[in-house]
Amino acid sequence: MSKELNLWLDDLLKDIKIIQFKRKNSRRVRIDIAPEALPALLELLQGRASYVHLSAITCVDWIEDNEFELVYHVWSYETNSLVSAHTRISREPGVYLSVYDLYTPAAFFERDIHEMFGVYFEGSPDMEKFILTEWNGPPPMRKDFDSEAFVNQTFNWEEYHPQWLKDIEAEGGGITTRPEDVR
Amino acid sequence: MPFSELLVELLLMPILAFVIGLVMVLMMRRIGARIQRRVGPPVLQPIYDIIKLYSKETQISHGLMHEIGIIMAVGGYIAAETLLPVPGLDGLADKGGAVTLAYMLMIPALGMALGVGQCANPNGSIGISRALTAMLAYDIPFILVIFGASYVYGTTNLAEMISIQQQQGVSSWGIVQMPILAITALLILPAIMGKHPFEIYVAPSEIATGPMVEMSGKFMGGLFVMQCFQLYTAGVIFTTLFLGGGVYWITFLPKIFLVVAIPMSVAYLFPRYRTEDVLRLMWKWPMLLGLIGLAVVMK
Amino acid sequence: MNELDKIPVRQEISVADGSAKRSNPLANVFDELVRFCQSRSMFMLHYCTGCGAIELPPAMTSRFDMERLGIQPMVTPRQADILLITGYVSVKTLKRIILTYEQMPSPKYVIGICSCTVNGGMYWQSYATAKVLREYIPVDIYIAGCMPRPEAVISGLRDLMGDIRSGRADNWKRYFQNYDYYLGNQQKLFGEDWQTPTDIIAEAEHYGLMTDQTLGEHTALLQKHQQPLEALEFSLGEKREKIQGENR
Repeated sequence: MSKELNLWLDDLLKDIKIIQFKRKNSRRVRIDIAPEALPALLELLQGRASYVHLSAITCVDWIEDNEFELVYHVWSYETNSLVSAHTRISREPGVYLSVYDLYTPAAFFERDIHEMFGVYFEGSPDMEKFILTEWNGPPPMRKDFDSEAFVNQTFNWEEYHPQWLKDIEAEGGGITTRPEDVR
Repeated sequence: MPFSELLVELLLMPILAFVIGLVMVLMMRRIGARIQRRVGPPVLQPIYDIIKLYSKETQISHGLMHEIGIIMAVGGYIAAETLLPVPGLDGLADKGGAVTLAYMLMIPALGMALGVGQCANPNGSIGISRALTAMLAYDIPFILVIFGASYVYGTTNLAEMISIQQQQGVSSWGIVQMPILAITALLILPAIMGKHPFEIYVAPSEIATGPMVEMSGKFMGGLFVMQCFQLYTAGVIFTTLFLGGGVYWITFLPKIFLVVAIPMSVAYLFPRYRTEDVLRLMWKWPMLLGLIGLAVVMK
Repeated sequence: MNELDKIPVRQEISVADGSAKRSNPLANVFDELVRFCQSRSMFMLHYCTGCGAIELPPAMTSRFDMERLGIQPMVTPRQADILLITGYVSVKTLKRIILTYEQMPSPKYVIGICSCTVNGGMYWQSYATAKVLREYIPVDIYIAGCMPRPEAVISGLRDLMGDIRSGRADNWKRYFQNYDYYLGNQQKLFGEDWQTPTDIIAEAEHYGLMTDQTLGEHTALLQKHQQPLEALEFSLGEKREKIQGENR
């Protein structure tokens, strides 16, 4: 039964013109689709093709192309396969539509992506911070945020050069990589 | 007896109870450790704990009621010790009997309830409500046991019960004359001592030790002292009613340690019952057994 | 191998002075007895932050039994002596650690287990972890490792017991004596309106541990922003209905 559903899905998706479709193996399908059409595709997959479980929504920051790539992973219990729907939205402004009305767990993933990347999802019930509640800076997962530089600027480091290390260095030994050189 | 002798006895009985209770607490922790295949704490560990708690420099108190609550909790047990006859010291045993003892044993829980209510910590309030419910649960079989024992011996005076059992030999011990009531008492002994499976009022990982959540420093030391008294009192009551008490310390001490060790050995194998399950359990089996035992005894 | 032998197992970071001797010899004996009992009966708070907490159950269970050293886990900060910071300290956790630390009755000891508390450890490049724990609360002993084995944890605890016996483990006084420094570091992370329910300055006055470094510019900021804390709302029924109303 599951093999028939897979074949039917491949035929259906091949016919739709505006998407690119690639089946990686019997369990993975990759779809690249324009952002305007993604919610309709998800509704089709959920309603007609038994992909009722939203596994995750992830985000990739393509800073050279000036785009965010959103990936929606949906899983079907009947065919035991995962469909990953990739779309690209422009980085400025990072705004997209929420799929909360289709999949309720999308609220959490969208909240997480909003906190980490700054992408706003219209229609999502709650866009409040919940992981980085003490964070006041820019969205930290963006590629233009340099975490190491921020850390070196904000925090102090423990400085100690104990006597036993000085003794070892006096004899010619010592640490090969000092932490100050790496930071 | 002359007043000065009475005064000496009244001072000596709680002190003895405290010392024996310390050894019982150590025994409890050692038994628990051995069941869990560990070594367990060193011999003087309860003393170290109590001295450390009393030497804390910060004392957090939530008001006068909080402190009065602790004093009532420890004081109730001290008063109960003076009513428990031990070899050589009778104290006030002939003035109050088993019934007064049963009343005295409710004062510590009520005192703690007063103190914990003042703390205004929701964990404490939940814990103390569970403790009072559990006390309600075990008090009814407890009263049945005391009633049965008083009926058999014809007196509520604990000192007289001991002398009757001692004079007439082993065949007149409570455990031979009323075995069903003895089993009932053994079933509710863990509840009196506050150990598994009736340890719901402490419940360390669920409600952060319940009533003890805001007790620190000297108050906690007082509660540790109260635990010593608690184990001692439970052991001595059972021994007095069923195992013939003792005329000499050398026969009395093994009995009370045995009585306390039996629930301890079982305690560490059990998880704890929920509060409503404790109520249901206590009002089903021990009460049934108590009523049957009473019927057998009063026939 | 020769150089590895030269690295001592125990390393002092800050020099602690010994305890003051009292004039009455009986008081000295009493102090020694009290310190001995404090070292042999330590209650650790069962609140272990971060991933290093996985090394505590082995130290408590039957193979490396900690109860024979007198250490038992207690569940509330009011009853505990030792606060174990195991693992990395994110900024969110650090707030709760400071709240917990201030609620514990003194004398209290902080042990920083794992290298993340020493100098950032594995997560040193992260924007959301605190690097040096010593800047926020006074730490008595660090046990380095990632994670340290239970033998190392027990060895560190025994070192702490020795410190308590000799009277050197009085870093809890340092919190009152240098409160301005600690508060400054805390305010840098949490903002200027950071306040806790515990009144540290009044406690410092009560213990007689006020120095000229207790008050300073940061405590002035604290007093400027201090508002009376209100109790949290404690409602059970209404919130659930609100969520259900939203869904339908």
